[in-house]
Amino acid sequence: MGQLALLATLFAPFLGAIALLFVPNREPLLVRAVAATSAGTALLASLYVFMAYDPDQGGFQFITKWAWSEELGIGFHIGVDGIGAPLVFASAILLFAGIFISWHIKDRTKEFYIFLLILAAATIGVFMSLDLFFLYFFYEMSVLPMYVLLGVWGSHTKGYLSMTDSEGQKLRDSVGFILNFGANSKEYAAMKLTLFLSAGAVFALMGILLIYHFSPVQTFDILVLREVADFDGTLAIIIWLLVFFGFASIAPIWPLHSWSPVGHAAAPAATSMLHAGVLMKLGHFSIIRVAYEILPETTRELMPIAAVLCVFSIIYGGFVAYFAKDTKYVIGYSSSSHMGYVFLGMAALDYISLTGAVIYMFAHALATGMLFAMAGWVYDQTHTRDIPSLGGLVKNMPFLAGAFVIACMASVGMPGTVNFIAEIMIIVGAWEKYPFQVVVAVLGIVLTMAYLFKMMRGLFYGNMSPEYADARDTSQWVDRLPLLVMIGCSIFFGIFPMHFYNVVRSTVVPMLDRINQVAPVVTQNTTGLLP
Amino acid sequence: MTFDLTLSSADLLLLAPEIFLTIWLCVVLAVDFTFRQIDHEKLAYLSVGGVVATLINLIWFDYTGVQGALFKDMFVLDGVAIFFKIFVLIATAMVLLASIDYVKSFKFFRGEYYFLVMMSALGMMFMASAQDLLSVFVTLEFSTFGFYVLVAYLREDQKSSEAGLKFFILGVFAAGLLAYGISLVYGETGTLIFSEMVSVPGSYGLAIGFIMIFAALGFKIGAVPFHSWIPDTYQGAPTPVTAFLSIAPKGAALAILIRMFYVALATFKPAWVLLFVVASILSMTYGNIVAIAQKNIKRLLAYSGIAQIGNVMIGLAAGTKRGSDAILFYLLTYLFANLGAFAVVIGVSNRIKSDEIEDYNGLNRRSPFLAAAMLLFLLSLAGVPPLAGFIGKLYIFVAAIEQELYTLLIVGLINIVISMYYYLVVVKKMYINEPHDPTPLSVSGSLKTVIFVGIAGTLLLGIYPKPFIDWAVAATLMFSNLNTPAASAPAVLTSLAGG
Repeated sequence: MGQLALLATLFAPFLGAIALLFVPNREPLLVRAVAATSAGTALLASLYVFMAYDPDQGGFQFITKWAWSEELGIGFHIGVDGIGAPLVFASAILLFAGIFISWHIKDRTKEFYIFLLILAAATIGVFMSLDLFFLYFFYEMSVLPMYVLLGVWGSHTKGYLSMTDSEGQKLRDSVGFILNFGANSKEYAAMKLTLFLSAGAVFALMGILLIYHFSPVQTFDILVLREVADFDGTLAIIIWLLVFFGFASIAPIWPLHSWSPVGHAAAPAATSMLHAGVLMKLGHFSIIRVAYEILPETTRELMPIAAVLCVFSIIYGGFVAYFAKDTKYVIGYSSSSHMGYVFLGMAALDYISLTGAVIYMFAHALATGMLFAMAGWVYDQTHTRDIPSLGGLVKNMPFLAGAFVIACMASVGMPGTVNFIAEIMIIVGAWEKYPFQVVVAVLGIVLTMAYLFKMMRGLFYGNMSPEYADARDTSQWVDRLPLLVMIGCSIFFGIFPMHFYNVVRSTVVPMLDRINQVAPVVTQNTTGLLP
Repeated sequence: MTFDLTLSSADLLLLAPEIFLTIWLCVVLAVDFTFRQIDHEKLAYLSVGGVVATLINLIWFDYTGVQGALFKDMFVLDGVAIFFKIFVLIATAMVLLASIDYVKSFKFFRGEYYFLVMMSALGMMFMASAQDLLSVFVTLEFSTFGFYVLVAYLREDQKSSEAGLKFFILGVFAAGLLAYGISLVYGETGTLIFSEMVSVPGSYGLAIGFIMIFAALGFKIGAVPFHSWIPDTYQGAPTPVTAFLSIAPKGAALAILIRMFYVALATFKPAWVLLFVVASILSMTYGNIVAIAQKNIKRLLAYSGIAQIGNVMIGLAAGTKRGSDAILFYLLTYLFANLGAFAVVIGVSNRIKSDEIEDYNGLNRRSPFLAAAMLLFLLSLAGVPPLAGFIGKLYIFVAAIEQELYTLLIVGLINIVISMYYYLVVVKKMYINEPHDPTPLSVSGSLKTVIFVGIAGTLLLGIYPKPFIDWAVAATLMFSNLNTPAASAPAVLTSLAGG
């Protein structure tokens, strides 16, 4: 049953995309219905997977394994552990919400939903791959739909960071602006995102090929490799660096982040949600899956790199978000800043902090998904994302304003939301090893509060410009449902986190035991794993 | 050296596909001459029927394991030969089908067009079986003659004539090089048969001879630095001919290259590995970088083809059985993606009479089918999962890393990113830009068939490649002895080769 549910989570969106090929474009309602059905199936199946995961048993569950190519040592091997299960669930939630958020897209509706479903299915695929080949397969597959989604249905990023300070001097995003060549178009954002992520991916692929070649068994199977592969010396360092920076470019760790805010700003709302909500987590997840599982000793030695870089992520992202005037820029940079917390939680290699990091990925997916969804709604109503020119929208949009406040609170980490649990665990867990970083992280929370409340005030309070007087609130159920689903999940797991905590912890403990050399790294125990 | 030309009926069986195709193309020509008023479309289907019958014959050979050699090893029918014959014939059938609408625009010689395409295919089938330098020369020229005419088929088009002239002059020059190379090799070794060259000692004469032969074959496959004819010829030739030229001769020439280097020169592997490493790096990098600047879709595909051949040569540089498997599989992926892309180009140019990338603006609005197909084919060429090209590239890279060719691997991986840029630029024009002229484009049934075959191949090889990988592995069983560890090569050469 769990196996079937896992397969359904992966294949429902793919089948939905295939079914959409046969639906005529002139029947938009049917197109949406098909997309919503497949996303709903995936959501229910993934909920089942998440709830049915047995924390007492731990390890990888609901495993399906089909031989794919014996010649190359590739198997279609999927299953989830306590880290994969919540992330699969988060992807399905965001896909489901994204389908409804995009309900009003008129231009080439069918193609939009096809690409969105492929994007989401591919990210779900990464979270359940137990084979390096398929991990990369789905990873790269998730990057390409972004190009079309951004390019066709995106919007130009007017007023990119060319903001002025109090004296009228222009401030510029240093690295990002140099690479920007002054272009603000969505085409530019799409191309930058795709090339950046593909470049990161080929580095990771190089690392994967090295793992394949130098492991004692020529296989891509992660479960076999973690038992038999024992890399040391320079080779291990090279592989680790390739894997870490290859995957961290999507995470995005400073200084590899510059594609991300541009991409967020240009993307349509549903794509931003998936992008910030789950696509970025592919980076952390793949690092955990590849580096933590296969190279535990090197991870222990080199993970301080992440602890150093995450400080820059947190501070830099936070400050740029504070000064940015474009709503999506604020949320985009806040995402890059918040991803620094995940890196901090990962780098500390502590039970509590790593568990917190995983929960944080889930929590951030929901919070950012809500913020992007609502920023998208405001943009659709007012056709601007420029915060200073907006204001007073609370009169027209009482429901949205309320939801926005909740989303901001979740993003800040207010008790009662799942973000609070995650944040407090990261901070507590990392304190012993990285007190400086923890202080920065706490300051980062203050900063988060500052820029989110600033944006909230700018959008919903103050005086309203008369040209936006006809902006409407979300009134139909299709518009409110996705927001309610995300808010509901965020609060539910904030109040009842125990199952979630147990699930994640059941995987984190043995993983960290290997890394911290409490448990043997190489067991050579491959019973039942090798054909 | 005496030639025994007595043939038994069992021997004739080995030649059955070639004999059948020869008869068939005479029939096509005879029908064309006898019934002058016949609709050329019927001729096309008649030709496709013959090609498909030959294809079935070969698949049956492969299935039942019919193998053997004729004329003192001048003509062999083994796994590799059958693979490449099937490869050439699939390409021929697809090109014939894709040509039907295009041929309508010819004023003269519509029937002969099909005859010439099939004749070139016949020559390439013989190339796939050549196991001897003399038959290499004869079959190579045989297959090229048809192309000399086909490239210059549009008599009133200056570009086509220019293309034909360039192709002819450089082709004849390559033939001269080949003949000279063969004479040098024969002078050094006293034999023309690949399998008899294995034990000969190395010498400068032999090396120069083989480099000349490599140059001639490099001309065929369009590897840098022998690529200069490719862009102009591709642009000027009738588009279906370009499609044919971009895939079939490359396959047939690679059959010869694999045989020559894997069988005849197996003992000199460290030396030729270096040759292929250099040619591969040059081809990939040059092809991909120059492709960025192209404004014409045929030229873009020409340069992308140069880069793809660079990828194929990574497999040759590996010089192992895994390398040859990877090449065979890669060529299959390239066949479907490249022919599919050209079929879309034919479909577009039939309607709007232009090959400029600028005119692909808004193709998604004008014909969602053509745009989606082109998207799939280009992404497959770029190597994006779940499409065939990705598996092909990964297979090649696995072969390379087993021989620890790190330099080649890094260059290859970086080139994936570079190539993605220009493929995505075309995607951008098709999907993001708005059309200058929003009238919908219609696609004819025969062309649709070709595009669907391309899509099916691209997806199938990407999602379920197992049977094809197994086929490639089985076809190259004779190279099993080549799995030598990388460390056996001299230290200088391996370090140069990236070891």
